[in-house]
Amino acid sequence: MSSLRLPAWLSARALVLFVAGLTMLYAAPLVLSIGDYTHNVMGLTFMFMAAALAWNWLGGYVGQISFGHSAMFGVGGFVAARLALALELSFWTAWFVGGLTAGVYALLWGHPTLRLRGPYFAIATIGVGEATRLIATYWAEFTGGSSGLSLPIGQGPTKYSLYWYGLYILAGVVALSYWLRRSRIGLGLIAIKEDVEAAGDVGVNATFYQDLVLFLSGTVVGVCGGFYASYQAFIDPQDMFSFDRSIGFILMAVIGGIGTILGPALGAIVFVMIQEFLLATYPQLYLGLYGLLLILVILFEPLGIAGLLLRIARRLGYRPAAGVAAGGIASSSSATEGEPEPVLESPGPGGGGAA
Amino acid sequence: MDQALSLTISAVLLAGFYAAMAYGLGLIYGVLRVVNLAHGGLIMASAYVTWQLFSRFRIDPYLAIPIVLVVFFGVGVAMYKGLVRFLPRGAAGGVQSLLLLFGVWLVIRNAAYLLYSGDDQAVRTSYSTASVRILGSSFSVNRVVVFVIALLALLGLHVFLQKTFLGKATRAVAQNPDSCTLVGVDVERIYTLTFGIGAALAGLAGLLASTLFAFNPAFGAGEVLKSFVIIVLGGMGSVVGIALGALVLAFAEVFSIYFVPSYLTAAVGFVLLVVVLIVRPAGLFGQRELV
Repeated sequence: MSSLRLPAWLSARALVLFVAGLTMLYAAPLVLSIGDYTHNVMGLTFMFMAAALAWNWLGGYVGQISFGHSAMFGVGGFVAARLALALELSFWTAWFVGGLTAGVYALLWGHPTLRLRGPYFAIATIGVGEATRLIATYWAEFTGGSSGLSLPIGQGPTKYSLYWYGLYILAGVVALSYWLRRSRIGLGLIAIKEDVEAAGDVGVNATFYQDLVLFLSGTVVGVCGGFYASYQAFIDPQDMFSFDRSIGFILMAVIGGIGTILGPALGAIVFVMIQEFLLATYPQLYLGLYGLLLILVILFEPLGIAGLLLRIARRLGYRPAAGVAAGGIASSSSATEGEPEPVLESPGPGGGGAA
Repeated sequence: MDQALSLTISAVLLAGFYAAMAYGLGLIYGVLRVVNLAHGGLIMASAYVTWQLFSRFRIDPYLAIPIVLVVFFGVGVAMYKGLVRFLPRGAAGGVQSLLLLFGVWLVIRNAAYLLYSGDDQAVRTSYSTASVRILGSSFSVNRVVVFVIALLALLGLHVFLQKTFLGKATRAVAQNPDSCTLVGVDVERIYTLTFGIGAALAGLAGLLASTLFAFNPAFGAGEVLKSFVIIVLGGMGSVVGIALGALVLAFAEVFSIYFVPSYLTAAVGFVLLVVVLIVRPAGLFGQRELV
């Protein structure tokens, strides 16, 4: 295949890292003896990593913070579950259709609301999420209401095999994240995040780009909802559509490192670990811990855990290529206020390492 | 017709509480351009403080108002000096401060869980079940008292902002902080004061809410959203704008029972919010002027 040239946005090193990471994770349960519990939690973590990365496309790349992603998570989950129940579709197809439905739903509310910027958009998404939750909770014919939906036992994939499906989803999402960041579209997104009007002046179709990113993000989160439904074999609207779930995506991405690729993935690992360990022993502590982490990240390390790792790497003499990822919360420079900070020179970690 | 009249009075009473609840958020946003997402957490915390004062020290909720105001003013000042001060304001910092204050909310919520568990609590006074008759329908005494207190608070704020030097300085800072610095207004001090007043208003709202509703640590999420609906409807405007926004929301909620099933009442506000944000980002009543 040496005659094939890699596209401009793809570096050979990232590709090698990506394939190596994927192979290692694919083979890990076959070679190493991983306990059942750890194995399953890892599968779930892959899904959360994918969802956090998908949230990050909108929150990190475009700078539009969504507090309503549980809406797509729930729509994807319930459509997939209903399809599996009614039509006995293969779960893969069900996830995919559920995801697409979620993506379309995202466009439905997103196309008009994405015109809003910053806090206005954020607050509007709280409204969208809460309204969706209320409707879903009371639409008992579809969601099973407060008693939820049980998936047929034995029909879908086993929890054990879900590990690999989770890995496939994650691999696809990492590749998409990398492409979205490095391609022409990625540059357009940075421009939109910096200044939406100036981006329009230089020919970036902000409406189209933002709609596209929201659609992709919603679709992936919807697929994750489908995965979650298969994983739990039981879903109820109070959980799927809950505000806490939307918060979860934000926390994973922001604590990990908003706008980067490695960050949200790391954030998801931390999130799941805190949840698995603290929720079992100190169920009351975990939200506050996340809150504290969020405050610390915003005040001291806007690139989150990824930024922290980057600092350590720099200390050790590693020089990452400039312009790998423009991270950070919202636009860091603006024409009138604050000190302009060269965004392209604050590199986040590259793509391949996340897989 | 009787029913419509009774619903109207009900909506007006509700609007009073809503206006007091929203003003804290609106003031902080108007002056600092920061959405205080911890507003809901402060409301919840204040409901617990009121409940503790009542159940431990037998202090009547309405007599506890000065205590709560002072305490939450202090909390607000501390939040500003300790956290918000370090973030950029305006368009560039809007999302940062939003997330930071969101973190504060999570911490407050968690603290309440740890201290008081997730159970519902309520402040039950001897007059909690008493009612008065207004134009042929009966209403709970508490709702009427809450309305009157909310009205007084708004009136007091209006006078403060319009007549006193500090109030005028606050309005000036909302319009243009840079020119305020030029004419010798201590902008940082005004920001601190504003955050304190905003938090004190959240405290007042929590105290009033505790006499009307049962609450738990998750209380306040809906209140923050409704507050935002109101300041968006009112156009981040004056006390009058906030009052109008509160009236619109209260009427929409109360009269929605004619059109949608009762469980969807809570969704009315959110739908209204999204629609107004899209159709009229400057607010229903359009004034862009702040505070």
